[in-house]
Formats: sequence, structure tokens, C-alpha cells
Amino acid sequence: MAIRWTIEEGIGRLMMDQPPSNTMTMQFFNEFRHWIDIVLYETGLKAIIIHGNGRHFSSGADLNELLFNLDRQIMVENYRSFTMLEQLGIPVISSIRGVCLGSAFELALFSNFRICADDAVLGLPEATFNLMPGIGGIQRTAALAGKSKALEIILRGLTFSASDALAMGLVDAVVPKRNALPVALNFARALPEKMMKGHRDIYLKKFLNPLNVSE
Amino acid sequence: MNYGDEVLFEINDSIGILTLNHPPENYLALPEFIPVTIFREWTKNDTLKGLIIKGEGKSFCAGGNLEHIFSAGEKGLSLQSLMADGLELLRYIQSLEIPVIAAINRVCFGGGLEIALACHFRVASENALLAFPEVNRNLMPGMGGTFRLPATIGLFESARMILGGDMINAVEAKELGILDYVVPKDKAFEFSWNLMQKMTHDRPVKVIRYIMKALKNSIELSPEEAMKEETNLFCELARDESIRRKKEDGHTVDY
Repeated sequence: MAIRWTIEEGIGRLMMDQPPSNTMTMQFFNEFRHWIDIVLYETGLKAIIIHGNGRHFSSGADLNELLFNLDRQIMVENYRSFTMLEQLGIPVISSIRGVCLGSAFELALFSNFRICADDAVLGLPEATFNLMPGIGGIQRTAALAGKSKALEIILRGLTFSASDALAMGLVDAVVPKRNALPVALNFARALPEKMMKGHRDIYLKKFLNPLNVSE
Repeated sequence: MNYGDEVLFEINDSIGILTLNHPPENYLALPEFIPVTIFREWTKNDTLKGLIIKGEGKSFCAGGNLEHIFSAGEKGLSLQSLMADGLELLRYIQSLEIPVIAAINRVCFGGGLEIALACHFRVASENALLAFPEVNRNLMPGMGGTFRLPATIGLFESARMILGGDMINAVEAKELGILDYVVPKDKAFEFSWNLMQKMTHDRPVKVIRYIMKALKNSIELSPEEAMKEETNLFCELARDESIRRKKEDGHTVDY
């Protein structure tokens, strides 16, 4: 299994489970699509945390496998499964450590909140392989960091540190690496039951800042 | 390739450089400072990877030459169509599917600032000054400033700038979000050139254009449509064996 899914006290944890780098294989995307269909009907779920097993969030899609098996319809369905994270109506928090690149960064961009360890390396390096981000990275980065910053990141295929990501508005908080998951869990517990759209900043101020994380 | 001696255009290492050539302050004779038909021809070039717009000499552009524009209006040319032509030219620049950088040294007023706002990046030297001074002559920006500025920095700050007519310096403009980069004195072009190289040098034209297209879609199309198009563009790039890059050691490449 590429995904481990557990629920404890109403907090669901989706762990990408192909260490060390938790590469997003075809199997991962298949399981993710299946998972989102199940979670849609899960009752009593208060929040979801996405993280990676071990030191890394994920190094992104397995490019060789993806290019070898390229299928437009599956790409469309993968994309849709990412956007469905927003339809769940509960907060989705990505807890990011180590590498978080390409499609993995795109997945994190579809979460409502991104708590980032200080050792993280994030980015969209697709252009350095003469490709482009394919699952919403362009739109999401533009919305968060601005059009020109997004264009520069994507054309250059840049990777950047957690603190740079924070400065660009691409993550919400940077914490010491050991705290990335505990802070995400405490934040999830503190959040109210219903996630109201358009109140991100209020949630961050009210429920994340008191956990003593630097803004 | 030049348009009279008002506008110079050259292509250097696949990057187009458009120079407003009416020093010292590069006033624009007309809103459509270069006929869009001519500019389309210059940019209809499959090897072009980017465009930099700069001013000749020390300044970027002090805006339209109002006396000239009004007298052209009196000579029977409709002011309305002159302005519409200027708007169309800037719309075309903004819609180019290659990155466009405005390299702004010193003066950037009125129509000059409107040109800069139509570009995808604005790089200014620390001694640059920006303003919409039209209100001081009981006029208003007429080449998209009234909608591109709010789209960039919001309604409130735009109103302050356009109604106030005051100059702001590069640091203030960066804080407001008008500028992407502030660079040392008079170095706007050098920095823009390097930024353009970093974004385009190792990229095939196709990759640049597809990324630009996807970004444009995210602004112009509904999220649903933009999503569909993004997948199409990705698949087309991924299927193009001629530009495929693999790591030489044959190891699996993630992303």
C-alpha cells in the first residue's frame, strides 16, 4: 500500500507510505482516488492531516512511470481527486518535512493549510525536465504568490527553502522539523468542526499562532 | 527592425528587446507607440523566448506627449480611436505567450507606467519614480492604468495613487506590489536580462509557451476549464519525445 490512513479522535491522517522519499507512483494515485471517494462519506471526521512516512513529505510523481503510462483520462481523474480535497468541508492540513516537490507540492497546495518544517525543500522543478506542473501547481502558486512570482518559479523550475516559501505565502508556518507533525495535530484539534471558506487568515491567527509557531 | 526612430527592436539570443527611443524621457508620440500590426510581425517568430521593454538613455518613459496627442485629435484623427489603438497594443503585449519584462530606470509616468503594467514582470532601479500624474491636468490614465493597477494592488491604493497624482519611489512601489524587483541604480536592464536568461535559456520555446498558456488560462478561464486545458498541455509536452530529458544515469526521476 502506498497510503496509510488512520483516524484517531476524529483526526484523519493520510500518510504517504513509500519511504524514504514517498514517491507518488501510479499505485499512489490509484489509492488516493479510491481514498477520497471513501473519505467523502466518512462521518465524524474533524480534520485531515497529510504527511509522509519518515524524513520526507514526498519527492513527487515517479516521472518515468508517469511518462511511460501517460493517459490523459487518468491525469484528469488524478487532478479531480486533488481538487476534491476542497469539497470535503473539513480542514485539510499538510505537514511538510524534507522534500516536497512537483506533484507532492501540488498536493500540498490543495490543502487548506501548510505547516512546514524548517528543513523542507519545496518547489516545482518540472521545467528543468522540459515539462510543466500538471496538477494545479500553476494556478495555485499564482493565487498564493502572485502571477509573476509563479511564472518565475515555474519557468526556472525553482526549488526553495521553507523560509522562502513562507515569505512568498506558499506555506503558513515554519516550525522546527520535529514539531511539524505535532503542531499540525494540535492545530487540527484546535480548529472548529466546520471549515468556513474564506476564513483562512482568521483560523491561522486564532488557532495556529497560540501554538507558538513563528508566523 | 525599427519603427521610424521612435521605437527600436532587436532580437538578441532569442530575446526581443524593445527600446522606446525618444530620449531623454522617451515621451510617447501616440498611445499606440508602435502600430500593433508591425509589432505583431516582429513578435511572430517561432524562436522568440522573451521580451524586454526599456527606455533609451537614463529613463524608462515619461508617458504620452499630451500636446501631440491632442493635436492629432484636432487634425481629424478621433481621440477615441487613438486611445483604443493604444489599449489594443498593450492588450497584445500582455497576451504574448512569452515572458515580458519592463526594465524601468528613473522616470516611469502615466503611459509609461501603463506599458509597464501590461508586462508580466516589472524590474525597477532603486532611483526609479512612478506616478499617474494625469489628474494634475484634470485627466485620467487612458491606456488600461485604471484597471491594471487595481488588479495589481487593489482598489484603495490605486485610488490613492491615481487621484493623488503623486510620485512614489521604487521601494514604496515594491511594497505596494507594483514592482517585482528593485535593483541598484540604473541597472534595471542588466538585471532584467539576467532574469530572462535564467527563465528561458535552457528551455525549449514550446515549454515556455505552454507554461505561459497555462498561467493565462488560470486567469481567463473558469477553474474547471483551466484544469482541463492544463492536463491537455501537460500531456502534449509529456508526449513530445524530441524535448524529453532523462537523467543520464538512468535512475528513476521523480517530480
